[in-house]
Amino acid sequence: MYRRILAAVNEHLNSEVAARYALHLARVCAAEFYLCFVADKNTPPAVFDHAQAAMKRLFIEAEKTEIKAESITRTGQAVEEIGAIVRNERIDIVFAATRREDVERRFYAGTVARSLSLKLPCSVALMRVVHMGKMRPTKILVPLKARISRVRERAWFTAKMAECCNAKVVVFHATKPITTFFHGEIHLTPYEWEKRLPEGVSGFMEYLRKYEIEHEGRLLPGKTARSITIEAAAKRHDLIIMGASERGLLTSLIKGNPVEEVLRETPCDLIILKPRHED
Amino acid sequence: MKINSLSKEDALRQLVSSENGLSDAEAAKRLSENGFNEISAVARTPLFMRFLGQFTHFLAILLWIGAGLSFLSAYLHPGEGMSRLGFAIIGVIFINAIFTFIQEYRAEKALEALKKLLPFYVRIIRSGAENKIQSREVVPGDIIMLAEGDMIPADARLIECSMMKVNNASLTGESEARLRDHTPWDGEILESPNIVFAGTTVTSGSGKALVFATGMGTEFGRIAHLTSAVEPGFSPLQKEIVKATRLVATIAALVGIFFFGLGFFIGRSFWDNFIFAIGITVALIPEGLLPTVTLSLAMASQRMVKRKALIKNLSSVETLGCVTVICTDKTGTLTQNRMTAAKIWENDQFIDAKDYSPQAGNMLMQTALLCNNARFADNEYKGDPTETAVLKLARESIGDSMARRISEIPFDSDRKRMTTLNKVADRQYIFTKGAMESILPLCSSSLLGGTEQQMGDAFRQKVTEACRQLMDMGLRVLAFAYKAAVNSDQLSVISRKRESKAQTTNHQPPEKDVSEASIHDPQDLEKDLVFAGLIGLEDPPRPEVRDAVGKCHDAGIKVIMITGDGSRTAVAIAREIALVTGEPVVIEGADFVNMSERELRKKLSEKEIIFARMTPKHKMRVVSALQEEGERVAVTGDGVNDAPALKKADIGISMGVSGTDVAKEASDMVLLDDNFATIVNAVEEGRAVYENIRKFITYIFASNIPEAVPYLAYILLKIPLPLTIMQILAVDLGTDMLPALALGTEKPTPSVMKQPPRSRDERLLDYSVISRAYLFLGPIEAVACMFGFFYVMYAGGWKWGTMLQPGNILYMQATTASLTAIVITQASNVFACRSSKESVLGLGLFTNRMIFMGIGFELCLQLFIVYTHWGNHIFSTSPLPLHIWLVLLPFAFLLFFAEEFRKSRLRKGEK
Repeated sequence: MYRRILAAVNEHLNSEVAARYALHLARVCAAEFYLCFVADKNTPPAVFDHAQAAMKRLFIEAEKTEIKAESITRTGQAVEEIGAIVRNERIDIVFAATRREDVERRFYAGTVARSLSLKLPCSVALMRVVHMGKMRPTKILVPLKARISRVRERAWFTAKMAECCNAKVVVFHATKPITTFFHGEIHLTPYEWEKRLPEGVSGFMEYLRKYEIEHEGRLLPGKTARSITIEAAAKRHDLIIMGASERGLLTSLIKGNPVEEVLRETPCDLIILKPRHED
Repeated sequence: MKINSLSKEDALRQLVSSENGLSDAEAAKRLSENGFNEISAVARTPLFMRFLGQFTHFLAILLWIGAGLSFLSAYLHPGEGMSRLGFAIIGVIFINAIFTFIQEYRAEKALEALKKLLPFYVRIIRSGAENKIQSREVVPGDIIMLAEGDMIPADARLIECSMMKVNNASLTGESEARLRDHTPWDGEILESPNIVFAGTTVTSGSGKALVFATGMGTEFGRIAHLTSAVEPGFSPLQKEIVKATRLVATIAALVGIFFFGLGFFIGRSFWDNFIFAIGITVALIPEGLLPTVTLSLAMASQRMVKRKALIKNLSSVETLGCVTVICTDKTGTLTQNRMTAAKIWENDQFIDAKDYSPQAGNMLMQTALLCNNARFADNEYKGDPTETAVLKLARESIGDSMARRISEIPFDSDRKRMTTLNKVADRQYIFTKGAMESILPLCSSSLLGGTEQQMGDAFRQKVTEACRQLMDMGLRVLAFAYKAAVNSDQLSVISRKRESKAQTTNHQPPEKDVSEASIHDPQDLEKDLVFAGLIGLEDPPRPEVRDAVGKCHDAGIKVIMITGDGSRTAVAIAREIALVTGEPVVIEGADFVNMSERELRKKLSEKEIIFARMTPKHKMRVVSALQEEGERVAVTGDGVNDAPALKKADIGISMGVSGTDVAKEASDMVLLDDNFATIVNAVEEGRAVYENIRKFITYIFASNIPEAVPYLAYILLKIPLPLTIMQILAVDLGTDMLPALALGTEKPTPSVMKQPPRSRDERLLDYSVISRAYLFLGPIEAVACMFGFFYVMYAGGWKWGTMLQPGNILYMQATTASLTAIVITQASNVFACRSSKESVLGLGLFTNRMIFMGIGFELCLQLFIVYTHWGNHIFSTSPLPLHIWLVLLPFAFLLFFAEEFRKSRLRKGEK
């Protein structure tokens, strides 16, 4: 599915860490690995040097692991230039690190990360790096909502990430508690909840079984974002892979935005995946 | 692959740093991207929003509508007093909101306590120079300098260290400092000796470390995240009250709407119907319930303090009563945490410690004395309880020994042993003590009858069996070994050798001015040891725990022991206190980690479970799994790492004596004496609270019927309204309050701990409560109320069908008589509600003095309402002659004896 993987690098260490994840993925997918840095006209030389040094380090790492790699440096607007590279090189997925502004801005509106996620014609994995001591995750938490699109690509991506790190996957679905007006919340045991596992989640797990990835399913009632971060912190997950938000601004304002909340409060590294490959 | 498994160079490369540290510019850039190295709370609903929430629930909305309609009526029909009613209803909304908020509120200070464990300043290397900066400015890639006494600001990989020991108690709960090392290590980061963690302390030595995680990304941040993110949710009582108020509010609204429609149908005016609808709604809503519940919980929490249980938020008082599982620590909670040597195994035989009289120079006692970091100073033993017990035995057996400690390999929970190198007279000795499984493989000979003999497999088997027997007695077992004559090439004396003290009593750990040596190869030094013997240490159970555990069993509460001790010791102690009687399921920490959720849940469903060799970090998983299975869980904890589990549990219980501030802040209850028996006392009190709440709910709800019936009579019989809305509020928020509170102080009955915990499906407002209040007690009061009204009306010459103005004296006297009838019968009802089945005469009429105070208050308030100008003005009442009171009094006796009769029938029916 992923034959050409691009990692966007900048002067920040986070982007280098995110690019290493891309490198791991390229290794298990036997994909070509592209590194790119886009500088604008006002980029100071020091920033340029930092980014170039990061690209060099990553390039050497790629060569060591015998991955075919290519570095691209462009000048211009990041989103447009990366978009052009994606089209020219027929990139399948782009890895980019989130910036501080993504965490601080509401719905990370207007940030480069959001623009990449929305505008690139390929899949996008936005990465928030929280812990730089765990280079390869051993436990991956995959929160899913009840109805998900592009199940195959999501499962493929998760499976490959798990494969490259030899990690165990926990598929997690946070659902609304069952309540009635007079009875209040009705308690269900995990066994009873399991019977209510949504089809999309079961389908995802079916793919993981097919890809022979060690995994388990978990369904809990509670607020989505809070349940995800608590689960990740309590069970010491090293990485969360979740889908990009499909909520519009108005819905987010009214109902909240779990992706945004997890992005802000994640206790471990986080990948927000925007898949583009149809099932 | 994790940073602990990388070489120093690779680790630096991964974080794009160097031994000279980051440049200031790079550090600033990383700071802007990663944020400050500080603990922050996760976003939560602000306090004022939580308070505002009290004004928008179902009951509040109904009351807002009622108030709004009252003001509308006051606007359309001025002078009818409807605006006063509107304000009264708003007052009710505010009173309920404030009291509910008081119940729910708890100060979140756990995070503040956590923050205190991080340093303000830290020494770092940037651009090759050493600097002191605020620890919040530390970023990944920084090189931090650490020395004895330093608090560690962030998670970091050691790149250099010298004899560095850190105390990880805040993360792992282990009080023993652990030796650090900078060489690569495969395995989990949390266990890695080359990693230091934020929030821990350097106890000795020094080192340099590369920061790889800061702020909320650290292990400490993870604890902070869980501590602040886990929201306790509603307590079982709060949930029940929500359900009860929804039910009652719905009934009130439906009755109001139904009779409004009926009145309209039979041709009453809109205005009459409207007054009726508002009145019946107000009459059926128990306005005083929430304040009474809150005050009752506050009084119960005061009683609990007297029983050494400090309750931190009110709703937890009742939650204790419905716990189904208590997960408890062993040491200090079930046991006394007073370690003493109980048994010795030496020369192939067991000896009681009290009968032990070894000869001077006995090598088992020499090892116990010299391989020990406890001290005897100022006539007391100081140090770790285990070491203190060993030192005490040795000192009392062979006295002090003149020897000097040259070096030490500290105790390490991975190696499970400590070793010292001592100079005794002119010879050097290696002394080792630790877990039997750690010591025995290092021994090649044993000491039997004072002579060293080659150790065979048979003897090893004997040692193993002896160790098992000691553990089965509930003893913590330590093995001791030694060897003489160490080659000098095994040691390298540290260059900072200073002036040596001549000879010191060797049970004192090395002081700083004593020359120290480092040991090149511990493995070489610790081989071919001579096995000296075993010592079994006892931490006796608290004497009251056995009864407390028995009470739990009688009360259907499962008690799960979670201990760091080995399984045999844990099981033996559990048997001693009757925690287990059969063959319990024992889960050890290592198995627990690898257990799937499904497997864990299956194990947890077993009757008797013990968790052995566990660390605090595992507790939250146990609590979560139990809760997911529908259990209501109480958990004890004292360490920083216990905080998430304490927050997650239905009731988190911290230790007042040995607990950390973080644990205390995260918990719902603090045990002032660290004693398990206190938890059981608190459970008993909690159950009594629930029973008492049911009692005063019956009491409060009973008065709703005589409040509602006058409105039915008003609309159906076309008579003047026998009870005004303000008079209803006078009962609900006035005269009923203190007697109801007095019912809240009833002592627990003996049977309260003989029944299983109430099930999730059991309702606070169930059929038995509703039927008793609405169909039995309430109707008697309603008869009294209507009798009082008609008695005064007819005595005053009223004719049926005549409508009187609200200001008419006769009408006001009649409504006052209705109100007085309710008050008098409610005074009798307080006694009736003291039990649901037992005869009140059997309980003793005078066993609850608060009842008399409550009734005294009730009557005084009624006298104020009836006989003062203010009372008459506010409640539209008029003074009553004495004979009216006397006419109403028999109804009080009627209610009391009718209820006694009902109870006796009920008891007979049960037999």
